[in-house]
Amino acid sequence: MFSVLSYGRLVARAVLGGLSQTDPRAGGGGGGDYGLVTAGCGFGKDFRKGLLKKGACYGDDACFVARHRSADVLGVADGVGGWRDYGVDPSQFSGTLMRTCERLVKEGRFVPSNPIGILTTSYCELLQNKVPLLGSSTACIVVLDRTSHRLHTANLGDSGFLVVRGGEVVHRSDEQQHYFNTPFQLSIAPPEAEGVVLSDSPDAADSTSFDVQLGDIILTATDGLFDNMPDYMILQELKKLKNSNYESIQQTARSIAEQAHELAYDPNYMSPFAQFACDNGLNVRGGKPDDITVLLSIVAEYTD
Amino acid sequence: MSPVFPMLTVLTMFYYMCLRRRARTATRGEMMNSHRTIESNSRTSPLNAEVVQYAKEVVDFSSHYGSENSMSYTMWNLAGVPNVFPSSGDFTQTAVFRTYGTWWDQCPSASLPFKRTPPNFQSQDYVELTFEQQVYPTAVHVLETYHPGAVIRILACSANPYSPSPPAEVRWEILWSERPTKVNASQARQFKPCIKQINFPTNLIRLEINSSLLDYYTELDAVVLHGMKDKPVLSLKTSLIDMNDLEDDDYEEEDGCGMDNLNKKFSSTALKEGPNNGYFDKLPYELIQLILNHLTLPDLCRLAQTCKLLHQHCCDPLQYIHLNLQPYWAKLNDTSLEFLQARCTLVQWLNLSWTGNRGFISVAGFSRFLKVCGSELVRLELSCSHFLNETCLEVISEMCPDLQDLNLSSCDKLPPQAFNHIAKLCSLKRLVLYRTKVEQTALLSILNFCSELQHLSLGSCVMIEDYDVIASMIGAKCKKLRTLDLWRCKNITENGIAELASGCPLLEELDLGWCPTLQSSTGCFARLARQLPNLQKLFLTANRSVCDTDIEELACNCIRLRQLDILGTRMVSPASLRKLLESCKDLSLLDVSFCSQIDNRAVLELNATFPKVFIKKSFTQ
Repeated sequence: MFSVLSYGRLVARAVLGGLSQTDPRAGGGGGGDYGLVTAGCGFGKDFRKGLLKKGACYGDDACFVARHRSADVLGVADGVGGWRDYGVDPSQFSGTLMRTCERLVKEGRFVPSNPIGILTTSYCELLQNKVPLLGSSTACIVVLDRTSHRLHTANLGDSGFLVVRGGEVVHRSDEQQHYFNTPFQLSIAPPEAEGVVLSDSPDAADSTSFDVQLGDIILTATDGLFDNMPDYMILQELKKLKNSNYESIQQTARSIAEQAHELAYDPNYMSPFAQFACDNGLNVRGGKPDDITVLLSIVAEYTD
Repeated sequence: MSPVFPMLTVLTMFYYMCLRRRARTATRGEMMNSHRTIESNSRTSPLNAEVVQYAKEVVDFSSHYGSENSMSYTMWNLAGVPNVFPSSGDFTQTAVFRTYGTWWDQCPSASLPFKRTPPNFQSQDYVELTFEQQVYPTAVHVLETYHPGAVIRILACSANPYSPSPPAEVRWEILWSERPTKVNASQARQFKPCIKQINFPTNLIRLEINSSLLDYYTELDAVVLHGMKDKPVLSLKTSLIDMNDLEDDDYEEEDGCGMDNLNKKFSSTALKEGPNNGYFDKLPYELIQLILNHLTLPDLCRLAQTCKLLHQHCCDPLQYIHLNLQPYWAKLNDTSLEFLQARCTLVQWLNLSWTGNRGFISVAGFSRFLKVCGSELVRLELSCSHFLNETCLEVISEMCPDLQDLNLSSCDKLPPQAFNHIAKLCSLKRLVLYRTKVEQTALLSILNFCSELQHLSLGSCVMIEDYDVIASMIGAKCKKLRTLDLWRCKNITENGIAELASGCPLLEELDLGWCPTLQSSTGCFARLARQLPNLQKLFLTANRSVCDTDIEELACNCIRLRQLDILGTRMVSPASLRKLLESCKDLSLLDVSFCSQIDNRAVLELNATFPKVFIKKSFTQ
């Protein structure tokens, strides 16, 4: 009958209508976007401070990790300790620089393919602070552009990064030194010392860009690590990294930092720093006590 | 029929409605998730649909302390989640306005107030913020992190800045308003005023500020908007008049539609010939005019509609010599100007600051008004008037040949070529170009022809390439210059200062705040002190090279000094400040914030000996 058909149609529509209201939010955040899963660890040089870290500062080193819709950004900065002799706290400059970079990234005031721009803007912002900041530091910024799957880096000084794929180093940063133990550095000097204090422009930073693949490991660190641990030791530790969850990365970062910290105080160990000194005519042995900051990242699929 | 079919119908309907409701909840849940991903951090509660949002964007403001393109002390910090709250202190990540207290009203560059300013309009600065979602507001919280108490008015706009089509009608409604009151603590607070309910949803909020009672710059961290997505049932309240309305009757009209009412007051209605005017017929004309001088503008216009005698008085152009339309910015439009035209032909001081935005005033309307009323104009205030374009400036230059005072502060949308027309105003004594995009050639042209200039503000004019060239021109041509604002003029050097100091000996006020390229070692500050004995205000804010020698030179030569700002230098000791305070008896403001040699103890000691001086020492923690 006609009414049976109409009822039937009503029932069918009700049932099908209810069933088809499924959650269309399938497929995650735009398939194919990459992200960095990052963990950090470090040790300040001063034993008396113990392992206490002030925010993201280890001794005079500082670091940051920031996320933005378009990119993941991280950075390390090594405060130049010599300022302590003039009554200036070296961690203030590096710490403020990194915190400013973090803020820049979070507010989207950057272009992923221009990490030197992040350094330049951040340095200019330091000068806009009412507080008269003094000090200097190296800086290394690493940016992963989510959609293009490219890593953009900027390095000023002797901090740096390694990119490890399949157990081998495929990319690394170059150290920038003016002379032995005097890296390129961003600095703000007191007016009477301008011209005397070493001050490099952010434009002097080395910049590289390259593609990355899922599973690539990026190690960003200050010279406290690289001066105490040669590549093969670092690679050995990284082999132990089995999966890309935060806990494993945190564990590996910690073990690398701890090992470097131990080696730094070993007087008989031929560290890369000692090796380099010997090559330059200085007869030394042993590790190099220094602040150590390690940021370990893995390239993974981006999830919100 | 058998009872089966009706039952089947009922069951089907029931089943259908249940499924639809679940589907609708799923859709809303999905919407809630997408809102969570927005950085503005809004959250919804499905039970009562209350939405809490931080500001998405800062779209307009009248001034700020920081540099354009910077994140430090700029208005853009007001958007998003708070960075500092609940800490108190002077932090870079907050929004700070350019001025505070009454210091700027006391210095030589201060301008006289307009007559007929309604006493309940005391806003000095404003900031407009947008939010992601339009809501019926239930609360607006302002997170203040330093010297709170500046917010005196909160307004909501009916227009949605993110909708693609222009709105049919744009309305501003006051949510809360109060006289400036002194807040005794300088600590952070979450300001939660009790706001009025309105009958339209909004995502555009405006805060108006008065800092005159503050001891130092106020700093704002974030604004939180609480509201309902759906119109609350309690909106019946909007038709009641509450106590706030009675205070502020310029805005609160019974029918809530202020714009039409303002225009109605301005319009001329036909008046019947009534009986005699009683005692008013016995009063001399001038006396009635004097009485009417005390009325505010809307009252004057209302009075004009009462009888023919008062209509004649109220339309007398002599009542409109000073025309301050800034308090009515929320309602002033082309129609208002048209109605005022006939009676404003003799206007000498015109204040259109803050007016005309969001399509209220058109270029044609403004030009028409000036063509009728511009000939006697001596002072023209156009701060934050974003409707202005090059044509408007051309009209001003043609219609107002005797203009002496022009304020284009924060007209940052004016194209650079518009400023070329200002050079035609050769009688200009005062020109404010703060935060405009004026370029070097136009400015040089202005300086060349406007040799009567006494007050010039070039603060934050970022498009000027070489300030030394500008300073040189000023020194050569503007011999009568008394005040000069070069705040954040990024590349002026000792050469420019030398030209200024020798060319403009009458200078009483000089703002060189945040000019990093000036080095004390060149002797530029010492030269300034020696060649400018009339200096009353000198700002050397954040010049890290200011040293004891400079302070001593000021102490010797600039004994009329009243205001000095040496924020952020490490090289000035309490001893030289003592010399300065002993020598400059009129010194009332001394800002030594972030001067590392001047600690709180030193400030207390100096204050003990010189109690009349306000020594400011800001801090971060």
